[in-house]
Amino acid sequence: MNSEPRPEMAAENLIVTNPALQTDTMFVNMGPQHPSTHGVLRLGLTLSGEVITKAVPDIGYLHRGTEKLMETRTYNQCVVLTDRWDYCSAMPNNLAFCLAAEKLIGAKVPPRAEALRVVMCELNRIASHLIFLGTYGIDIGAFTPFLYAFREREMILDLYEMLCGARLTYNYIRLGGVAADIDAGWIAKCREFLEFIKPRLDEYDTLLSFNPIFLVRTKAIGLISKDSAVAWGLSGPNLRGSGVNYDVRKAEPYCGYEQYDFEVPLGRTGSCWDRYFCRVQEMRQSVRIISAALAKLPSGELLAKGIAKIPKPPPGEAYAHVEASRGDLGIYLVSDGGTAPYRLHVRAPCFVNLAVLQEILVGKKVADVIAVLGSLDIVLGEVDR
Amino acid sequence: MGIVLDKLPAVAQAVPGGQIVLTTTDYFIDLGRKYSLWPLTFGLACCAIEMMAAYASRFDFDRFGVIPRPSPRQADLLLIAGTVTKKMAEPILEIYHQMPEPRFVIAMGSCANCGGPYYDSYSVVKGADRIIPVDVYIAGCPPRPEALIHGVIELQKKIARMKLAKGAAATFQQEKGSRDPAGGI
Amino acid sequence: MPLTKEDVIARLLARLPKAEAASVPVRDYPTVRLGAPEDLPAAARLLKGELGFEYLEMVTAVDWLGPVRQEGFVSSRNPHPFLAQAPAPPVTPVAGPGISYHPILDMLWSFGNLRENLKVFLRLAVPRDRPEVPTLTGLFPAADWQEREAFDLLGIRFTGHPNLIKILTPDFLTGHPLRKDYVHQKDPYDE
Repeated sequence: MNSEPRPEMAAENLIVTNPALQTDTMFVNMGPQHPSTHGVLRLGLTLSGEVITKAVPDIGYLHRGTEKLMETRTYNQCVVLTDRWDYCSAMPNNLAFCLAAEKLIGAKVPPRAEALRVVMCELNRIASHLIFLGTYGIDIGAFTPFLYAFREREMILDLYEMLCGARLTYNYIRLGGVAADIDAGWIAKCREFLEFIKPRLDEYDTLLSFNPIFLVRTKAIGLISKDSAVAWGLSGPNLRGSGVNYDVRKAEPYCGYEQYDFEVPLGRTGSCWDRYFCRVQEMRQSVRIISAALAKLPSGELLAKGIAKIPKPPPGEAYAHVEASRGDLGIYLVSDGGTAPYRLHVRAPCFVNLAVLQEILVGKKVADVIAVLGSLDIVLGEVDR
Repeated sequence: MGIVLDKLPAVAQAVPGGQIVLTTTDYFIDLGRKYSLWPLTFGLACCAIEMMAAYASRFDFDRFGVIPRPSPRQADLLLIAGTVTKKMAEPILEIYHQMPEPRFVIAMGSCANCGGPYYDSYSVVKGADRIIPVDVYIAGCPPRPEALIHGVIELQKKIARMKLAKGAAATFQQEKGSRDPAGGI
Repeated sequence: MPLTKEDVIARLLARLPKAEAASVPVRDYPTVRLGAPEDLPAAARLLKGELGFEYLEMVTAVDWLGPVRQEGFVSSRNPHPFLAQAPAPPVTPVAGPGISYHPILDMLWSFGNLRENLKVFLRLAVPRDRPEVPTLTGLFPAADWQEREAFDLLGIRFTGHPNLIKILTPDFLTGHPLRKDYVHQKDPYDE
């Protein structure tokens, strides 16, 4: 099936050019309550017929002021708030904050804790991409993958519940290590899950990824060139979908990622489908990483020694970044020697990714807005903090 | 009520013209209302993910008659799932007023109950009941899908106590907020 | 020959006479402190054009006025008569060597070279009462929203920015919340 749009449907041909015909632009407001904007996002679209002439994302409907609140919380209390940025994958948020704080304190995390951090973050990557798959299917109009994706995700949430008691906001990765240990039963259940999900990912390919309707809706849509992606500061699958090979796990490895063998999937054209398929392939790579990490799990302590209950890092500044599920999450932490961070800035990947909508939606049809927005995979908790 | 239903088949056999059901109008109308609560798809923050999990196959909200509707004009339940920020307060009010009566509100999660972990933030409304009346509060951060289902069942019990005599719309909320002890149930 | 951290710092210091290597660098990363706001566009052009740092990662600032004022936080009345109002956690700042409180907004930019896996931080101190800095949106579109956020939360004006308006806080909120001396003005949604 030809997935290229017909020439007469090209955007330029849809704009009325007959001067005798009186036309006007229309302003359409999408959100903040909208089934498909993945949260409280408001898109102000100026339309000329079906073609968008200006797109203005209006954010801040979930701005909770976390950066200010962190200035009166102790470091361990801050970890609780970090979960709620990118709530679909909370472990990397905890991790980024803890890495920055550990740089300031000068703590050395024990190897078992590092391996557990890797396992939990990769499991969270799979869970987050499953949410993406399900909700992107619903956005395009396919309701069934959502149910399958959430069924698989429930297995991961069961694992997390066995581990630390929470399904969504874990507060598991703490300063100096991790909060709880896993036993042989957990490892067996995790391996069972990994065996279960491998054929399921192939099933999703037949169900959604190579579905002709899905291909037509996403293959030539939302193209972001390599230069554009780098110029707009995109990260994560959005950047790699355009062909830029940058993954923080390979570029600046943390938590022992250099010892695990995995590939970084790259897209070719920067279309919605490329970004989508990057995420599907990343799930497969995460399965590899988790198997490798569980196979050589070192024994030992869970928390670094010598970190006080209420830590007071010496004055200094540190920056730590991780490859979160949605991109390059960076934490800039300034300490003045007190019990609370003096300043914490979150370099949120979704905040930076969302700005590119102002460019790529112009000249496109309004029916493609949801497909493009969904492919950027934003979570408003991270956009607004 | 139980006595009537038990004896009903025998009685109904004898009635010429067919079987009838005897009940109060209140019970009948409340039965319809409580078993077809249609919430608005209104996830604000993290609790929205647990709400989506409640709609998915493991916890299956559909068996309670709960189907998400995208438009407030077609919904009768507003599930405030997530933090209510000051910028979002006005849209929430507009949506609430667009919903036809009888309408119900469930505040899901700590943030919607009382501000949650953001209790001292400059941009968070400390609880959804500061702006709209709330029927059921569900505690948790985020509450499990089972807790959400429990909250909906509590709302169903509350609906079962509604009486037509109190008015055609028969809502028992006060516009000031449901913390007002003077009125309502 | 691959680029190293020292090369980058050397090239920057050579091009900008008023710049210097920062005394308190961001831990493990090369950090250069600029001398004047006018140096910023030149530094950015050098980094993007000649050194391959085409990826602007972060634009932010630190307010070095002092410990944060508690009036910037809005708590609701504790409705429980039996529980005492929880005390605020003890925040005991000491401000040690190289770090001291002064009325300065310390700006920070972070640039990345994706091919060589390098990152460099640029610093610039601007006075709190007139914080004006040239914008980078011409060179890096990624700066657009990040500068708007810095304007909204910290009050830094970026001269030449095409659309410098609030982005995160509600319209009725006055003041810049992330400043240390921010005092919250009561609005209809507070008690």
